[in-house]
Amino acid sequence: MTVVVLRVLIVVAVLLGWEIAGRLANPLLYVPPSAAVPALRDLLALRSYPDFPEHLLLTLREIAVAYGLAIAAGVGCGAALGLNRLVGRAYGPILAALYAVPAVVWYPSLMLFFGLDAASKIAFGFLLGFFPITLAVLAGIRQVNPQLITVARAFGASRLTVFRKVMLPAMLFTLVGGLRTGLALAVIGVIVGEVLGSKAGLGSLINHAYGLFRTADYVALVLVTLALIVACDAVASALERRAQRWTHLQ
Amino acid sequence: MTRRVRLLQAASVAALLLLWEAVARAGWVDPLFVPAPSAVAGAFARVGGPALGGLGDTLAKTAVAYVLSVVLGVGGGVLLGSLPRVRGAVNPLVVALYGMPKILVLPWIVLLLGFGTTPAIVYGTIHGLFPILVLVTGAVRDVDRQLVTVARAFGARRWQLYRTVVLPAIVPTVLAGMRLGIVFCLLGVLIVEMFAGVRGMGHVMSSLANGFQAPELFAATALVSVASIVIVLSLDAVNDRLSHWRGDAR
Repeated sequence: MTVVVLRVLIVVAVLLGWEIAGRLANPLLYVPPSAAVPALRDLLALRSYPDFPEHLLLTLREIAVAYGLAIAAGVGCGAALGLNRLVGRAYGPILAALYAVPAVVWYPSLMLFFGLDAASKIAFGFLLGFFPITLAVLAGIRQVNPQLITVARAFGASRLTVFRKVMLPAMLFTLVGGLRTGLALAVIGVIVGEVLGSKAGLGSLINHAYGLFRTADYVALVLVTLALIVACDAVASALERRAQRWTHLQ
Repeated sequence: MTRRVRLLQAASVAALLLLWEAVARAGWVDPLFVPAPSAVAGAFARVGGPALGGLGDTLAKTAVAYVLSVVLGVGGGVLLGSLPRVRGAVNPLVVALYGMPKILVLPWIVLLLGFGTTPAIVYGTIHGLFPILVLVTGAVRDVDRQLVTVARAFGARRWQLYRTVVLPAIVPTVLAGMRLGIVFCLLGVLIVEMFAGVRGMGHVMSSLANGFQAPELFAATALVSVASIVIVLSLDAVNDRLSHWRGDAR
C-alpha cells in the first residue's frame, strides 16, 4: 500500500515540478501540464485538428495491415525454419544477423520504394513485427519435446492432430509472447515511419504540430498516441492471459 | 551437415543476387527504385567517401551514447537493485518508460537541443539506457540471497559484498544488456540523423532517398548494415570468450 502511495507521490511531484519549472523557464518549450490539458480537450473536441479522426483511423488501419502481414509471414517463416533442420541451420543465422541491424536503416529504401503514403509505413511496421514473431515461432517449435511427437505419431495421430494436440499447447506460451512483442513493434514501426515522413496519420499530425511550434497540441497528440499504444498492449496482454489459462487447462 | 549448411547459405545468397539482377535487367522493376546489384556495386565507389565519413560520424556519436548508456544503466541498475523500497516505487515507471516509443519525444528533444550532435547523443542514450537499466536492476535483485547472507555472516563490508558477490554475479546480465544496448544506441542516433540531422549516416541516407539515388542509397544501407553486424558479432565473440573464462575459473 505504501508503495502505491509512494508511486502516486512521485508522479504528482514530477508533474508539479514540471508545472513550476515550465512556467518559470519557457511555457512554450516545456509545456506545463496546465497547458497540455486544454490542448488535449481541444484535440478531442476536434477544435485544433478537425480531421483528427481520419488520421487516427488511417494509423489504426496501417497498424492492422502491418501486423496481419507480420503474423502471416512470421508464422510461415518460423515454421519453415523450425520444422526443417537444414533450412533452420542455414537461414537461422542469416535472420539473426539481420535482426542485429537497427531496423531504421531499411526505412529510407522502403520510403523510396513504397512512397510517402501508407504503404511504406505498413512495410516498416511489418518489418519490425516480423522478426520477433518468426523468432518466437522458431523457439516455440524447438521447445516441443520430440518424444511426445514420436509417441503421438506411433499411436496413429495425423500430422494435423499432432500439431493441434501436441505442438500447439507446448509452444503456445512462447508464441503468444512473440505475438505480443510483434504487435508492440508493429505499432512503433508505423508511428516511426509516420514521424520520419508522411502526409497523413498520427505521426504526420505530430510533425505538423512540432513544425509549427504548436507545442501544446504536440503534447496532446503524444498523449493520444500513448493511449493508443497502451490500449493495443492491454488487448495483447488480455489475450496472453487467456492463452496461459488455456495452456493450463490442457 | 556444416558443409551442406554453408553451401546452402552461399547458394541462396548467390541465387538471390542473380535473380535480383535478372529481374532488374529484364525491366520488371523500375531501376529508379530497385537498382540491379551490379548498379549498387558500382555505386559503392561513388558514394564511398561521403558514406564512410558519415558512418564514422555516426559511430562516434554512437560510441559516446553507448558509454553513457552503459555507465548510467549499470550504475542505476545496481542502485535500484540494491534498494528494494526505491525499486518498488520507481521500477514500474522505468518499465513504462522503457516500453514507450521514444520517437514520440524526439520532436521535443530536437526543439530543446537543436540540430546536430547533442540531440543524437541524448536520444541514442535514451534508447540504449533502458534495456541495460531494466536488466541490471533485475539481476541485482535476484542475486542469490544465501551468498549475500554468508558473505555478511563472515563479516564482509558493504564494498566487499559488492566486489566479491554482487558484481561477479551480474556480469552475464551486464554483457547481455551491453549486447542489446549497442543496437538500440545506433538505432537512436540514426533516427535523429534522419529526422533532424545535418551530418552522419542517417542524414546521408535520407538525402540519398530524397534525391532518388537508389543505387547509392542501397550501397549506403549495405555499409551500415555490415558495420552493425560486425559490431554485434564482435561483441558476441567477446561475450563467448568471457563466459569461457568464467567457466574455466570455476
